[in-house]
Amino acid sequence: MKVTLAMKPAAKSFIPIEAESIVPKNFLAGTDLSVWRGNRELRLDEVFSVSVEGDAGRAEDVEVVLSGETFRLKRVGEYMDGGTITILGDIGMHCGNFMSGGTIEIHGNADGWLGREMAGGAIVCRGDAADYCASGYRGGRKGMIGGTVEVFGRAGDFLAESIAGGTVTVHGDAGDMAGAEMHGGTLVVHGDCRRPGANMKGGSCYVYGTAQGMLPTFRKIGTVQHEGHTLIRFTGDIANRGKGNLFVKDYEYLD
Amino acid sequence: MTELLVKNACVIDPLRGINAETMDIAIRDGKIVEEVSDAAEVIDARGMLTLPGGVDSHTHICGTKVNFGRYMSPEDMRAGRTPRRGPLHSTSGYSVPTTYGNSYRYSVMGYTTLLEGAMAPLEARHTHEEFIYTPLQDTMANTLFDGNWGIMEAIRDGDTKRVAAIIAWTLRAVKGFGVKLTNPGGTEAWQWGKNVSCIRDPVPYFEVTPAEIIRSIVEANELLGLPHSVHLHCNNLGTPGNYTCTLGSLGLIPDLNKKRQTLYATHVQFHAYGGSGWKDFCSKSEPIARFVDMRPQIVMDMGQVMFGRTTTMTADGPMEFNLYRLHHEKWSNHDVELETGSGIIPVIYRRKNLVNSIMWAIGLELALLTKSPWQCLLTTDNPNGAPFVKYPEIIALLMSKKYRDAEFATIHPDTAARVPLPAIERELDWYEIAVMTRAGQAKALGIQDLGKGHLGPGADADVAIYPLRIDEVDPATDYQKVIDAFSRTEYTIKRGRVVARRGECLIDGSNATFWVRPKVSENYDMGKDPDFIEKFDRYYTVRMRNYPVQEEYLNRNRCIETEARI
Repeated sequence: MKVTLAMKPAAKSFIPIEAESIVPKNFLAGTDLSVWRGNRELRLDEVFSVSVEGDAGRAEDVEVVLSGETFRLKRVGEYMDGGTITILGDIGMHCGNFMSGGTIEIHGNADGWLGREMAGGAIVCRGDAADYCASGYRGGRKGMIGGTVEVFGRAGDFLAESIAGGTVTVHGDAGDMAGAEMHGGTLVVHGDCRRPGANMKGGSCYVYGTAQGMLPTFRKIGTVQHEGHTLIRFTGDIANRGKGNLFVKDYEYLD
Repeated sequence: MTELLVKNACVIDPLRGINAETMDIAIRDGKIVEEVSDAAEVIDARGMLTLPGGVDSHTHICGTKVNFGRYMSPEDMRAGRTPRRGPLHSTSGYSVPTTYGNSYRYSVMGYTTLLEGAMAPLEARHTHEEFIYTPLQDTMANTLFDGNWGIMEAIRDGDTKRVAAIIAWTLRAVKGFGVKLTNPGGTEAWQWGKNVSCIRDPVPYFEVTPAEIIRSIVEANELLGLPHSVHLHCNNLGTPGNYTCTLGSLGLIPDLNKKRQTLYATHVQFHAYGGSGWKDFCSKSEPIARFVDMRPQIVMDMGQVMFGRTTTMTADGPMEFNLYRLHHEKWSNHDVELETGSGIIPVIYRRKNLVNSIMWAIGLELALLTKSPWQCLLTTDNPNGAPFVKYPEIIALLMSKKYRDAEFATIHPDTAARVPLPAIERELDWYEIAVMTRAGQAKALGIQDLGKGHLGPGADADVAIYPLRIDEVDPATDYQKVIDAFSRTEYTIKRGRVVARRGECLIDGSNATFWVRPKVSENYDMGKDPDFIEKFDRYYTVRMRNYPVQEEYLNRNRCIETEARI
């Protein structure tokens, strides 16, 4: 089953739309769903031109395609457990929160909190991801616990903050505090980033570029070969009695 | 004039000695009266269990400490979300909910009066502001005097009357209700990076011991004729082997008051530990309960721990630092100038953890081993042992050996060798539960004469009707029915109005705050004492004239005037 949701131009607004109902399994029962804009509840067809092709008996067979000005559309794919969501443009905050299965593909950029506290499944973002990509949430102990997030562009600050499982790969640069409070899982940054692995307890963080503002609370172990890169291995964060592994191609401490 | 008649209620009212009599309760203008006219609105209770409104004599629901618990645990606000509905505000949070969350949930459980366990005098305004937004319960605040500089100096000089005078001035200024001592001397020592290990250790600089502080303030409390006794959180909370310190502290207390206890020892579960370390940690509830049995001048509350996540918060700063070193999670520490301090950390009590399992058993043992229910009241030291929404489960555990055994089978297997709980057969009855949740608490707080905790004519019309017939339910086996009934009243009536019905709050009420103004002679008016004024101006960051909480901060002002003997 393929559900196409084309955002109506008239629905464009500065007020974000909360669209946690846009999850593949919800379309098994039809398209009679609603979303919220501020304190107003809107029917799905008030915001989108909805078209459905074919039918499906389980969430895995549902593909949702979103097009149009979707940059202010929040919480798409929240708690999703199967199926596919394809976003042709940009997507708003909190896309793929808590998802446990299925695939989300974003052809444009993603706003903050992409794949927050995700437990499984896969997210691919062809553009850039903003801050707190694949991270935890305010006050929580664990962020992402499983699944994969791959960003082909750059990522913002606090990438994979509190990650406890799963894999996050960023092909461009990442911002400040990548992998902060990491407990487990794997973070790979192909470009540069700042202060990686702050206060990490466990897990592995790879930086194939330069780690700027490298924290002094990591102990240098030696060099290792990893997927064709010669990387310098550190362990830490000693300030937190951590046993994490931090691998960097190059690093510079703050002056 | 509004009138209400509750018919066919199965009333248990321990303060009047009524045990399960079917009767009618007449209410006029928020008070219970002998009879009402035929025009009165009628509620048919159909033989359901009807008790005076619940009283919680030790809970942390309002004030800077609680609010900081909210600040530092945004994840707690993910739980317990309810939307705004009619006159009701939205709520959120589990262990440290919003004020409305606290108020609505307490009301649904039939509670109508709450005592905030620890208010730092300097930060009293915040507590009173939050009281206003706790609309469905009458409130009062215990005021912290454990590390008060002026008081410690007066104790060093052996001047108990001056101690009383400072308490009188402060209670009046901050609109406080009772005197709370939290780890007396320990929090002051913590400001020097130290603690006191027990009641004989001197406090740095002041050179007074916790024993002197406790004894002197207990005497001062009686000189002022306060409704409540001194409310003590003993030294050395939460450390293995601390029961000797607790017994030592309780042993200091003479019997000074005929009407009520002379000391209220709070959350005693946390103070009834044996062993020399965590390896041989065990329960010492038996010696404590036996000691209390022999001393009518002491009342304690359980401080029951229940499994799950919660937030610990106390003025006992050094203890929270020790907890932080155990858990290595978030921690907040706070200093309140010349008065006290505080600490907060979130915790999770786990069934699979031996220490936590023993703690769970100790609270229940204290309640079951203490002969008189008037001397061991039901609390969790909300939210330190567990959020108050666990009270119905605790009631069921106390009433059913079968339920205790079923729970015991799920906790750490080594617990049985460390605690007497499996050997205790006692099952409390409805009357004893009514004592432990309202009558005993009202008596201990000294508010029964103000119309709390009973249903006699003239009392405040606070009534809780639970959807349960005690002649049909056997609590020993039907414990789930007990939990369900105590979780959700059929009707909660507050000041003569139905405020909650079957789990739904109905109105946005308006609370009353009780506070105490002891009348002291001119010579002991600290507001005119040159030495007190000089010290105040020199050490506080606040001007003395800005310190008192204005009466505008009190919603419905219930001032209790007492005749002090100074």
